[in-house]
Amino acid sequence: MTVRAGILRHTTVLFLVLAGGISVLLFSVKYQVRDLETDYKRLSKELNLERRAVHVLHAEWATLNDPKRIGELAAQYLDMVPIAPAQVVGPDAVLEIPVREINFGEGPDGDPQTSGKTP
Amino acid sequence: MTRRPGLQTEIPFEALDPEYIRMEGARKQALDQGRTRLLVTGVMLALAFVVLGGRLIDLTQNGKSGAPQWRARALAKVQSSVVTRGNVVDRNGNILATSLPTQSLYMDAQEILAGIDPGEAVDKLIAVLPDLNRAALIAKLEAGGRFQWVSRNLTPDQVWAVNRLGLPGFGFRDEERRVYPYGPTYAHVLGYTDVDGRGLSGIERKFDDRLGNLGETVELSIDMRVQSILYEEVSKAKARFSAIGASGVVMDASSGEVIAMVSLPDFDPNQPSGVMGTRGFNRATLGVYEMGSTFKLFTTAMALDTGTVDLTDGYDASEPIRIARFTISDYHGKKRWLSVPEILVYSSNIGTAKMAVDVGAEKQKEYLTRLGLLGSTEVELPELGTALYPARWSELSTMTISYGHGIAVSPLQLVSGVSALVNGGVKIPPTLLKRSPANPLSGTRVLKPETSKKMRSLMRMVVRSGTGKKADVQGYLVGGKTGTADKQVAGRYDDTALISSFVGAFPMIDPRYVVLVLVDEPKGIKETFGFATGGWVAAPAVKAVIERMGPLFGVVADGRTKDAEENPGHPLFVPATSPPKRPEIIGEGVRRAIY
Repeated sequence: MTVRAGILRHTTVLFLVLAGGISVLLFSVKYQVRDLETDYKRLSKELNLERRAVHVLHAEWATLNDPKRIGELAAQYLDMVPIAPAQVVGPDAVLEIPVREINFGEGPDGDPQTSGKTP
Repeated sequence: MTRRPGLQTEIPFEALDPEYIRMEGARKQALDQGRTRLLVTGVMLALAFVVLGGRLIDLTQNGKSGAPQWRARALAKVQSSVVTRGNVVDRNGNILATSLPTQSLYMDAQEILAGIDPGEAVDKLIAVLPDLNRAALIAKLEAGGRFQWVSRNLTPDQVWAVNRLGLPGFGFRDEERRVYPYGPTYAHVLGYTDVDGRGLSGIERKFDDRLGNLGETVELSIDMRVQSILYEEVSKAKARFSAIGASGVVMDASSGEVIAMVSLPDFDPNQPSGVMGTRGFNRATLGVYEMGSTFKLFTTAMALDTGTVDLTDGYDASEPIRIARFTISDYHGKKRWLSVPEILVYSSNIGTAKMAVDVGAEKQKEYLTRLGLLGSTEVELPELGTALYPARWSELSTMTISYGHGIAVSPLQLVSGVSALVNGGVKIPPTLLKRSPANPLSGTRVLKPETSKKMRSLMRMVVRSGTGKKADVQGYLVGGKTGTADKQVAGRYDDTALISSFVGAFPMIDPRYVVLVLVDEPKGIKETFGFATGGWVAAPAVKAVIERMGPLFGVVADGRTKDAEENPGHPLFVPATSPPKRPEIIGEGVRRAIY
């Protein structure tokens, strides 16, 4: 009889401790979740604002990228002109490059130097 | 289970065990009842806990319906866009049309009338939004609607200013505004939308469902750089010759993709007005024109393809043709026998008409149909023109259609037909959408590959030594054909109102792009000695376009000079003249025989 009662008492205590532990865990998880939720909402909001900004910036980039505008700016600030058709060459054009004469060991320091002469 | 007689003062614990107790009568009944109730309650509770547990697991796994769906929400955040309507981009992904989030002001008249004096509210509002009409706004207010727009698509500054007034009954709604960063450059390709974002013309209308409801991005075959070049050059030509309109098309000859398309006059799709008249008219796809001599290309191609003539054959073009009450004569008349290449190079109406008669009306119809010149324009736009030609195809029709009169087609149809002539003889339906390499082309063969090869040489010859000289770009082997047609004014041909065009392709060895420029009613200027023909007006514009777009696509210029092409070994060599077939002059006078 006493053995049985003892087991009963121990079980009760054990369950009380378990229940207490779980409640503490539950509360902490609940608050953690609440904090995460707040973070999530804040981040989502920020993300949306950023996405909006990126979207608007894409549109702005497109406006600034107007070939007409770039052409005008290039004419104003650059010394460059469009590529002429004759400047585009095929791979066989490499064979047309004039060969330079290379003389070794004739420089002041004995370094290889090109003479700049073309045959 | 043994019966224990006698009275006991102390009942051992074990005795409470039902095994040792046996009771009878009312007591036993009560105890059994109690035990059963306890059991039922216990089972019920256990079941309830099982249900609760199950629900708990279910909630953890799937969540409550209607409650925030964490997993789904996280995914949706990644996919959802800032705006609902999709972008339109060019073939390299540059944005051509996009939507920007804006806010629009509305009012609840009931709430305003209940609050403050309407006149005062309107005055305050006009102080920050000066564009509003005071009388109209008060009239709207007095109508008493609970939701009425006041002003759409306000800037953030305006929104802030209105909010600062703190007027009751006014509110904002998030909206979208369609923005076209390049303004009129793409007006006729993209079209425009109304204030509610519904497509009203062009691509915006054709793909309204994909853009608006599905929010998809539409990828066009247009190349932003080429479009910009074409727009600039066509505008220049139009302004230079004080024309009433102009259009231009650049097409990829092998895939049918429209690389650039321009129609002038145009409009700014950012500020579309309700009535646009000619500005809203797409000349490149909806307008149909009698093209004139550019049609000689098709006549020559069908004559070569059917074997009616060969490059060494020719026709006597010394006398105008008189048929019915019409006279067909030459503009650049040579008054002699002309070989087939010469007929094209000198743009002889007489020679072409004779060639067409030899081909026959049936064959002519068949070829033109296969080249897509007798149906309606095919492309992904709502504005599509249908070719006009006589219902009764008489011999006169055969003759005039051979050199592009009595038949009207849209510029896009012409470009698509010419693409088929030069790309090896395959007609590919034109498209404004970027073709993916995965989709095989659905072309139909209309000409033999040899015919296409001959046509390339002939077109090159027109530019090398014929009417199209002004379109030549050193080394690019440009080929093409000029076209000058009198416009019909009040049912009669008016030789002062012209449609001047040039259709060219390059490089002629293996054409990649076909370029068309068409100018409507150009006026001759001093630099062109008063001429307003295709060779003077449109050819230089095509030259400028080719000169500027060639390097962009890395087209390698042929280093050889023009003289090399006169050499019979050159792939584009065509024997220009060859002796006429003797039988044609036998029996003719000596003057004719010596041509």
